[in-house]
Order: sequence, then C-alpha cells, then structure tokens
Amino acid sequence: MNAFTGTGDATGRGGAPGPYAATGRDALVHRALLHRTDREFATAAVPYLREGRRDGDALVVIASAAFGDLLREQLGERDAAPIEFPDRDAWFAGPMHAFAAYHDRARADWWPRGRLRLLVQPVWEGRTALEVSEWKRHEALINVMFAGTPTSMLCAYDAAALPGGVLTDAMRTHPELQDAGGVHPSGRFTDPADVYAECNAAPLAPPPPDAARRIFASGELPGLRAFLRGEAVRHGLPDAACLPFVLAVNEIATGIIRDGGGHGSLWVWTEGRELVCDLTDPAFALDDRFLGYAPPRGGRRGEAAMWAVRRLCHIVEIRSGAHGTRVRMHVRLPG
Amino acid sequence: MSSLHNGGPGGGLDGGPDGAPARTAVGRMKFGDHLCLTYDNEEERYAVLMAYIRDGLRADHKIIYLADQENPRDVLERLAAEAGKDEDALRTAADEGHLAIRPIIEAFMATGRFDPDETVALLGTEIELALVQGYDGVRITGETSFSVRGWPGTEHFAEFEHKCQQAFQAPGTRAMAICQYDRRWFGPDQLRILESCHDGRVRVDDLYADGVLTITPTFTPPGLRLTGAVDESTLPGLLEALHGAAGRAGHLCLDLSGLEFCDLEGLRVLIGAGREGASLERQVVLRGMPDYLGLMMRLAGWDSAPGVYLEGAIR
Repeated sequence: MNAFTGTGDATGRGGAPGPYAATGRDALVHRALLHRTDREFATAAVPYLREGRRDGDALVVIASAAFGDLLREQLGERDAAPIEFPDRDAWFAGPMHAFAAYHDRARADWWPRGRLRLLVQPVWEGRTALEVSEWKRHEALINVMFAGTPTSMLCAYDAAALPGGVLTDAMRTHPELQDAGGVHPSGRFTDPADVYAECNAAPLAPPPPDAARRIFASGELPGLRAFLRGEAVRHGLPDAACLPFVLAVNEIATGIIRDGGGHGSLWVWTEGRELVCDLTDPAFALDDRFLGYAPPRGGRRGEAAMWAVRRLCHIVEIRSGAHGTRVRMHVRLPG
Repeated sequence: MSSLHNGGPGGGLDGGPDGAPARTAVGRMKFGDHLCLTYDNEEERYAVLMAYIRDGLRADHKIIYLADQENPRDVLERLAAEAGKDEDALRTAADEGHLAIRPIIEAFMATGRFDPDETVALLGTEIELALVQGYDGVRITGETSFSVRGWPGTEHFAEFEHKCQQAFQAPGTRAMAICQYDRRWFGPDQLRILESCHDGRVRVDDLYADGVLTITPTFTPPGLRLTGAVDESTLPGLLEALHGAAGRAGHLCLDLSGLEFCDLEGLRVLIGAGREGASLERQVVLRGMPDYLGLMMRLAGWDSAPGVYLEGAIR
C-alpha cells in the first residue's frame, strides 16, 4: 500500500520510465524514498545499506545527524563501520556545489572501489523559491549525468512534513519510488529535458533600476574586471571570494565577445544575501541543453567555461532565445 | 591579489629582487646609458647583444665591439651565428665599418699595460670620429673577462669602469655602452663593485607588453615570465610568445608568479604549451602558480594533464 495519500493512482505502476529505467550493473538507480516516519525511513534504509555492504559497494550516507545516529544504532557497529557520513549542510550548500561534489568524489574515491550506494536526504527547509526550483533541476539532472554509471542513489523525502510541491517534484524526477508498499516505478516520472525546460520557463525579472551597469566589448575586460572587483568589495563580498566571482563573470563576458554577439551589457546588484550579476548578449542564442553540468570532455570551449562558471557560483540561470541571451549569476554574501 | 590588472605599460625598467640594481630593457637604452650585462649563459648574452646591435644598425649608430680575442673575424663569425635572419646585414655592416670589432689588446699597445685614462681617451676618440663620419650615435660593447687574467694594469679595471661612467654621464653624450660580465668569471663581491660603476643592468627586451600583459624571456631556466593578465585581448600575444619559445631547446618553464589574472582559455593554452614545437616530448614547468589558477585547474578537471609539472609550493 502507498505510504502517502493521493498518489496511489497517479503513480500508475508499470508506467514506462523510458531510458532512465535501471537495468544491469552499470545502470543508475535513482529512487525517492517517501517515508512518513523515522521507522519507515529506517525500514527502507537499513536493508539498502546492508545489501550494499554485502556486495562490497562504496557506502555513503548524507543525512541529518539524527538519521545518522538512527542508522548507526540499527545497523550496529560492524555494518556501519564502512559507511562514510559527509556533513549534510556542507554537502547540500548549493545544487551545483552538491552536483560537482558527487562528480569529484565519485571519480576520485567511490567508483574506483566498484558500485556506489548513496543514501541522501536533500535539504528543503529555508530554501528560496529559486533554490527549490534549482534543486528540482538538480534531481532531474542526476538521471542524465550519472546515467550508465555504477551508482545507486536513494533520496529520502519526509512525506509527512515536506510541501506537496516538493513531493510531487520528487515523483517527477525519480524513475523509481519507494514507500511502505515497496519499490515501484514512478508513473509521474518526467523526461529530465522537460523538467529542465520547465525550470527555464519563467522569464527573469529585469535588474533593479539601481543596479550598476556597464557595457563591454573586446579589449575592455581589464576595465570590466576592475569595476566588478570594486562592486564586489562595495557589496561586502569577502576578499577571497572576489577573484572567483570576477573569474566567473569574465568567462561569460569572454564567451559573448568571442563566440556570441561580440559585445554585451552587465548589471550588478544585491538581492537578499546574494550578489547578483546579469550579462546579456543582444543577438546570440546559446544552446543551453544541460550546459555546464558535466565536466568538459572534448575541450569544447563553452562547455568548459560553463562548467567552471557554475562551480564558481551559487546558482547560474540562463535564458536564451531569438531575443538573445541573459546569464544571471548568484553569489552568496556572508551573513 | 592586490589588483586585477597591471598598473601601466611595461616601462622596461624594473628593480631586481633583493634590492639588486635596476634593470633596463635593451630596447629602451638611450644615449648616456652605461649598463652591465651580467649573464649566466650564452643564450641570454646574445639575446641582449643582438638586440643592441640590431637596434643600433637600424638607428644608424656606429657599433664598436671590444673583443677579448685577437682575431676580429672570429668575433664576427660568433655574432653572425647568433644573428639569424640579420646575418647578411651584420656582415655588410662589418665590411662597411658600421660595425667595428676591435681586439682589446689594441688598447694596450700604446703603453704596454692597461691604463684606465688612456683607454677612456681612446674610446672618446672613437666616438668623436664616428660622429664626424656622420653616424647618429655610437653604441659600445665590451667583453671584460680579460680583466681577470692578471695582465699588467688590470687591477685598475674598476677605476676604468668608474671613469667610463663619468664620461658617459657628460651632457650631450651621443654614446651608450654595455659591458659584458660573465658571471662564471667574477666573484659576487667583485661583481657588486663593478656593477656599482654602472647605471644598472641591461636585460632582454620584453616579447610582449601592452599595459595589460607583459611577457619576458627567461634563460635560467629557459622559459617565459608572465606579468599582468591573460584574457581575450592579450591571448594572441601569449600564443605568439609560446610559438616563438617552441623553437628553443629543452623544457619550458613558465613563471606565473606575477600573473594576476588568467581566464580559462589562457590556462588551457599554458597547459598545452608543451605540445608545440620540439620533436621530443617536452615538459612544461608551471612555476609560482597562483592559488586561483590552481583552483581553476581543479574546477576544469585539468589538474592531471600530462606533460605539465606544477613546481614547488603554490603561492
């Protein structure tokens, strides 16, 4: 039986998750664990981890301290010993930060040992609307970026506490669901490209009237960088974060000069506890299909730049079309 | 990072480390300059000398080369071998007296010993004669290794250098000089005394300087020193300098300690620098890589690129 109400029909068991269905050892398993109680969580999580220990998988749990303690207690010292418990808040500091951390650690430490078995508990409390949307994008992209890798990811969602929208999105971004009734395919699973497009659907609000503005073209980037640094310092960005911010903006501006329309405009302002920077290319449309979410492979220029830019920022939004391109970079301010 | 871009154009004049004498780029020398070329290897020596001679021929200055060797032909052959595409021009200049190679021994003939006053007077006559002949100025360069051979009078060599310095500082001088000091022949204390008789040291010209990025050749080890910023506008300068460096032998050391900014494309080019040129696999040593570039390399996933060696402690 289903552990949460109102979804029994919608999950449509036996629905076709398409290319994201898990088969074979090197297939990605991406499953949402919709639990209503701690006990339901443990009932699913403990066998999941025990199975992994039996198979010799690399075991990683990124969850709250309370869940960590619960698992250690239920698994016992011997079964819990091989599990790595990275700090949850640090890991989920931002959607791209977490994405890059999976990429880096999996390559360096986990996949070399065989299959990776993750149990994660994404953080939804205290997120802004933009962050919630970007975390949805993150969950959808997991299916694309880790497809064909020996990875199991069980994502814990508290079905009793989280908002309905977050739970609905979990069903749309995970090919498999697990609840008190067991594991079954998600009938609501949506093609990640569609979720991605959905996240880009709303237009970006224009920069506020008091945003500092500059235009730029070839040969003018030294001046632009000095301006950016001045703005970053003025808005309280710590010294160590200024150069990464300038590096990120410079990459986007360089792309506009070199591969885009040749010149553009830039705005800088603060919004809440974020420093925000917009760059526009008046003419050139950018093909933003999962752009910059995978490490560069072929040395394609825009790909490497966007991968680095996304990693240097908290969130990067792209809107592109016949009217040109706007890239919005968010960097966190302290406090 | 103190500032994101270079304060001003590469002025060609910079102080050396540890309060060493100021260094003037050879291409920026002017009349009255009396500089010493303290060199560790022949590549460095000839990079400066050939620029000095080339600039002089172009400006219609007479060039007087005081050689520690009796046969001027041998000296000319040595210079011609380093002249590259200017070899013919160099030989023509020697034939026409535009480039005069004088064995230092001639300066001794008058008195049979090294006499500072005589030698300065002799140089004065040479300069005057060249100007009378219609040259726009005179460039002198002299080898100095004879001074350590213990020939009679050479204990007064520092005095000679001191007198030269006074002579060149006279107002209206239309002459300049470079004294060549092979560091392998002189002790550090001796060099310090001799250097103090000059306006400072001469150094090789920058390969590139546009106010944002300066690229200077280095010789020990062979490579390039980058100062300022690499971005879309200065990248062509970097590409050209690396292309030129590809012809040099051995590994390539890129000193990045003064690189205040470098974009991803620039970093990609620096990492790929070893792939051009030399037939053998050549290694690129990235020296003094700033923290932010190490970060960019990790972010881009390039920190394990083959043929690249990150040297020493990262700044």
